[in-house]
Amino acid sequence: MLYILIVISYCNSVFQALYYSVPFRENVVKYPPHSPYDTPNGQPSIVTPIRAPIQNGAAIPAGKAKGISAAEAMKRRAAVNAGQPVPAAPGQRPEDKPDSPEYKKKHAMLAGPILELTYENAASYGMEESTFTALKDIFMALIANSSRIGVLSPQRFLEIFKRDNEMFRTSMHQDAHEFYGLVLNAIISNVEANAQRLKELDSMAPPRNDESLAPSMNSAVKSAATTMDLHSGTRSPGTGWVHDIFEGVLTSETKCLTCETASQRDETFLDLSIDLEEHSSVTSCLRKFSAEEMLCERNKFHCDNCGGLQEAEKRMKIKRLPKILALHLKRFKYTEDMTRLQKLFHRVVYPYHLRMFNTTGDAEDPDRLYELYAVVVHIGGNAYHGHYVSVIKTQDRGWLLFDDEMVEPVDKHYVRNFFGDKPGMACAYVLFYQETTVEAMRKEQEAEGLAEVTLASQEAEFSLGRSPTNGISRQATSPVTPIEENLEYASLNHAITAPLPSPSTATSTIPFTPIVPAATQVPILDAAKPKSKHDKERERRELKEAEKARKHSEKEKAKAEEQKRKEVMLSRRETHKTQEEETKRAMALSKQSAAEEEEKRKARDSTSNGAVKENGHHEKTFSIPTLNRSHKGSKSMSRKSFGFLGGRNGESKGSSVGDDTSTATEGESMLQTPEKHSKKERFSFSLGRKKSANILGL
Amino acid sequence: MFVLPPPPRYPSQNAYNNAVASGQAVPMVETNNILSYPTGPEYQLVVGEGTYLLKEDLHLATPPPHPSEAPIINPNPLATTPQPATAGTKISLLNLSSRPTVPQQIYKTETNRSGTGFHSSIQEHPSEGRPSGDFVPPSSDGGDTSLTGSARAPVSIGSAPAFGEGNAMLVATGKDAGKRRKPKNNIAKSNSSFISRCIVHENLTRRLQERPADGYFAFANINRAFQWIDMSSPQKQEHLTKILFTKGHCLCHDINQVTKSQTHIDLIMGFSTGEIIWYDPISQKYTRLNKNGIINATPVSEIRWIPGSENLFLAAHMDGSLVVYDKEKEDAAFSPEEAVTNGNSDTSNGNTEHSAKLHVDKSVHSKNQKFNPVSCWKLSNQRINAFAFSPDNRHIAVVSEDGTLRIIDYLKEQLLDIFSSYYGGFISVCWSPDGKYVLTGGQDDLVSIWSVAESTIVARCQGHQSWVTAVCFDPWRCDDRNYRFGSVGEDCRLLLWDFSVGMLHRPKALSARQRGSVSSRFANPLQRAETQNTTSSRLRSNSSLSAEGEEEHTIEHPVEPRATTAMLPPVMSKMIDPHPLCWLEFTEDSIITSCKSGHIRTWGRPRDGANESEGASLSA
Repeated sequence: MLYILIVISYCNSVFQALYYSVPFRENVVKYPPHSPYDTPNGQPSIVTPIRAPIQNGAAIPAGKAKGISAAEAMKRRAAVNAGQPVPAAPGQRPEDKPDSPEYKKKHAMLAGPILELTYENAASYGMEESTFTALKDIFMALIANSSRIGVLSPQRFLEIFKRDNEMFRTSMHQDAHEFYGLVLNAIISNVEANAQRLKELDSMAPPRNDESLAPSMNSAVKSAATTMDLHSGTRSPGTGWVHDIFEGVLTSETKCLTCETASQRDETFLDLSIDLEEHSSVTSCLRKFSAEEMLCERNKFHCDNCGGLQEAEKRMKIKRLPKILALHLKRFKYTEDMTRLQKLFHRVVYPYHLRMFNTTGDAEDPDRLYELYAVVVHIGGNAYHGHYVSVIKTQDRGWLLFDDEMVEPVDKHYVRNFFGDKPGMACAYVLFYQETTVEAMRKEQEAEGLAEVTLASQEAEFSLGRSPTNGISRQATSPVTPIEENLEYASLNHAITAPLPSPSTATSTIPFTPIVPAATQVPILDAAKPKSKHDKERERRELKEAEKARKHSEKEKAKAEEQKRKEVMLSRRETHKTQEEETKRAMALSKQSAAEEEEKRKARDSTSNGAVKENGHHEKTFSIPTLNRSHKGSKSMSRKSFGFLGGRNGESKGSSVGDDTSTATEGESMLQTPEKHSKKERFSFSLGRKKSANILGL
Repeated sequence: MFVLPPPPRYPSQNAYNNAVASGQAVPMVETNNILSYPTGPEYQLVVGEGTYLLKEDLHLATPPPHPSEAPIINPNPLATTPQPATAGTKISLLNLSSRPTVPQQIYKTETNRSGTGFHSSIQEHPSEGRPSGDFVPPSSDGGDTSLTGSARAPVSIGSAPAFGEGNAMLVATGKDAGKRRKPKNNIAKSNSSFISRCIVHENLTRRLQERPADGYFAFANINRAFQWIDMSSPQKQEHLTKILFTKGHCLCHDINQVTKSQTHIDLIMGFSTGEIIWYDPISQKYTRLNKNGIINATPVSEIRWIPGSENLFLAAHMDGSLVVYDKEKEDAAFSPEEAVTNGNSDTSNGNTEHSAKLHVDKSVHSKNQKFNPVSCWKLSNQRINAFAFSPDNRHIAVVSEDGTLRIIDYLKEQLLDIFSSYYGGFISVCWSPDGKYVLTGGQDDLVSIWSVAESTIVARCQGHQSWVTAVCFDPWRCDDRNYRFGSVGEDCRLLLWDFSVGMLHRPKALSARQRGSVSSRFANPLQRAETQNTTSSRLRSNSSLSAEGEEEHTIEHPVEPRATTAMLPPVMSKMIDPHPLCWLEFTEDSIITSCKSGHIRTWGRPRDGANESEGASLSA
């Protein structure tokens, strides 16, 4: 069970990137076009067990219900429901601190709804159970779920995925890029296999039970399909979309230096892995990717013309551009002695838009414009440990940061925090660009502008020192949407947080306030109307309603835009006022907390670990407001290492030495130099690794 | 791992407060500038004309954070706290000698647009209130900036009328002329919450007297500090004056070339808070403008004096507006004036026609000129990253984060062209010395050359390995057919380029590795420009049709595909600094670069080069 903990962060980051790719999502939902079964419009209903959120803000007594089996989760949840509400005294555990990531994540679990995908609907799609069907399940569940927020546990998906991919069965820290590649490959081969099977079984009766297929046969079909579609390039009818979206074609041109004969070979790719250099841009790294390479010495080229190994020049160019371009930045590199992977912290800048320089002369549309829509970020000092989050541009609410169960709106500039030069060891690892047009870009930029203006003035205010508290400033500047509100938007994937502000703690801050962008594009996901009564009915009306909703939202958008423009001046002034008020309040709070903190600091050395932790978070929340999401990386690291201890409860935390030291040092490090701090952080990582090794050894 | 250097330790806040209260020296860690003279092959730039040698490396000290804010090191990489706007070290160079700072021979060629009278004020709409008689005939000396500077009102320069000419409200009454020429407040004794403190060199007056008259002053921002440095002094690491601001970072600054003298320098600074400071470093006086962002609350990304004007300067705010301020006017809360109120039909036409493109929130011809701003134009909602005035003082080239280059006739407050980057935002822009070409550098790692007269891209210059942060022509190595320019970028590289009109290379896609001149497309730009100009001015003579007249001349230009655009390779590319670079300028005998962490490097031109004629080298 515990591996889910480890799996979850890379899984989540990649999943979100896939889900928010509109063409991919739409195609997944649409495929297979019609099921052989009796669903009238090919949209089988997904019945997802949804747990009701707990409304009173009760806390989970022991740890979080993350990454446990469905059954166990149910039990825990029952226990939670029955459990005593924890008195809202300021901070017994990190997750009780409003505005801390732990708090937000916990509340995400509490606020729910929690979708449990513990079984498969593969049969209703008319497909074998596979990675694709599991993924489709998740997408369908997300779209079908009318609530905007909630947490989804992808139990079944991971079980299937692990079944097919031996490597991911271990509890090791996994690579998000590898995961992405495997998922995509699996999806493509699943879809291909399905098309093949349908063709073959066209005359025969459709199989009654897909699950009856032996796993071995299943995988055999799959691998056959993989080789077929990836290497020979043939496609089955009706499966073009998987290829179109992700697949590009690379041409490697090799020129023999002896006989001057040039030969070409095409191969498909799902992403480009590019080498990095210090102080470079993605553009430049891509250019290097296509730079000429000499094949000489041990690496000579076998020339068919001269017959024999010859020196040659080789270069890779792109012949066909994919709709979605995934760029894998090779941040992990073997050390000189090839013993272990090290992480490169090169500063690599990436623009919001991109065109490819390294296309072949005969490529169609060589000036295709791409826009950045998702960044998978790796936080951590090396390849063996770390945490993945993703920053994704959504259609209807701008950029969002997905961090496990937590989702936070961020501004556009936040995307630029992961060039690799900022402290904190967070670097962009996979960049997702999707095709766009100049018109769409301009339109979006115009719409963006208003938010931009607010932001720019916010920056100015920040320098003026008007809004010292993070949570507060965000609260004041972003339009607040009540969490309970059911907009015309299906729930986000696995990780949406809306911590229910418990009456006692949430007086000053609302930890999660989703931004409703002033005006963005047409929401694509507006199918799920709040008043949908029955799933089946809705499915049938989906198209119609989508149309309606789109028109409606367009009108509304125009209206809102106009109003916004008028009110910009007014609202700006109002914002100032509110912020000043908030600031005052925060100052009072911080004063109060400073006193408490002083006492706690004295007690730190002697008291137990829990107190230390609480103290640290206390500081973060009030006295040093900008730290309020601090220590995230190391925190989750240590949490992960505890996973191996088999316990998620307070006792195990308290008794664990690793956590103790890391938190304590973190607390101190705020007074120390950053250099020292980073050392400490690394230290805590290595502790975690040792521990996990021990556990594995057991 | 890249970590910041350990922050200096401070005595407690109480000690600081007590010291301030009792008038003692504030116990604060002060860091000093460091001057070094590195030598070796890695500090040489080898180009065709010879070898540039690194003369010196002046490292400006990054000031410690203000004591009122605890040194916050946020170890959380995911913190969503808004970050204040900041900028790398930029420098304003000042030469007090009367000798023109740019070689004159360049201006022998007539500049296209000003020369042909396309935009001369003779076709102006009469309702603009501009007497048509004051049209100055185009002179051959289009770029002469050496003005006596005696008049109070903005003065016409060369062929171009002065900005806002004809608006009587802008002409100050003669009485207080000369009286209020200096800012009001003493910066050293300021108790403003904005200025932390001002450190003046103890021998400032002596140093000012003893220095050579033609030496360069450098004004440079670093973090929250602003330093005045004498580049001709052997002790240049000792700043003449250092101002420390409380929280606002100075992002940009400029010196008025009209009013400069031995006794007076008009300097303006734009801040991350949106505020602007008008400062005279010699008298140590200052005035705050746009105080608390009353006119515009977004950070100032670029600020420049309007050429030829004593009082007016243009500031680019990050909300996409360009605002003209008068250094002597008071601020007043500003809301966009309705275009109708100033009775300027040209503007209202523009509003309906291109509302998104150039929105005149307040025209310079507005009668309401008691307070700042003098005028305000909204370009877009995207952050403006830089702008530059054309040498003929008629146009500005503005580049934004959305990847657009706009050419604006600021005298007529009219948008002429919008060009798009290949992709990504533009970061830097400059004009060729003759005003024919505009250079841009951006997030596509390219330097692009645009022809203003032809409204087209001329070439893309590929060679940087990261974003291009500054571009600049070398006027000492330009003539009427050949141009030398340089660029610096986030890749820590300085690139030099030679561009000549007839020698552009075809893109590889069309003819692989074939060297030769491009088609006649670029051969005679003047001819095409002229025909275009005559037709459009004929159309434009009917002023009510002015908006339609623009149809002749499309404003928005689509991106040229790679396959049809000429590519230009650099003549020199060298990593010259371990940190990303952000500023570049050519002087008579050197190239000066600066980086994000405050290194100012001076590269001496080749000793026995062709243009060593004037010879007067600065002290080494």
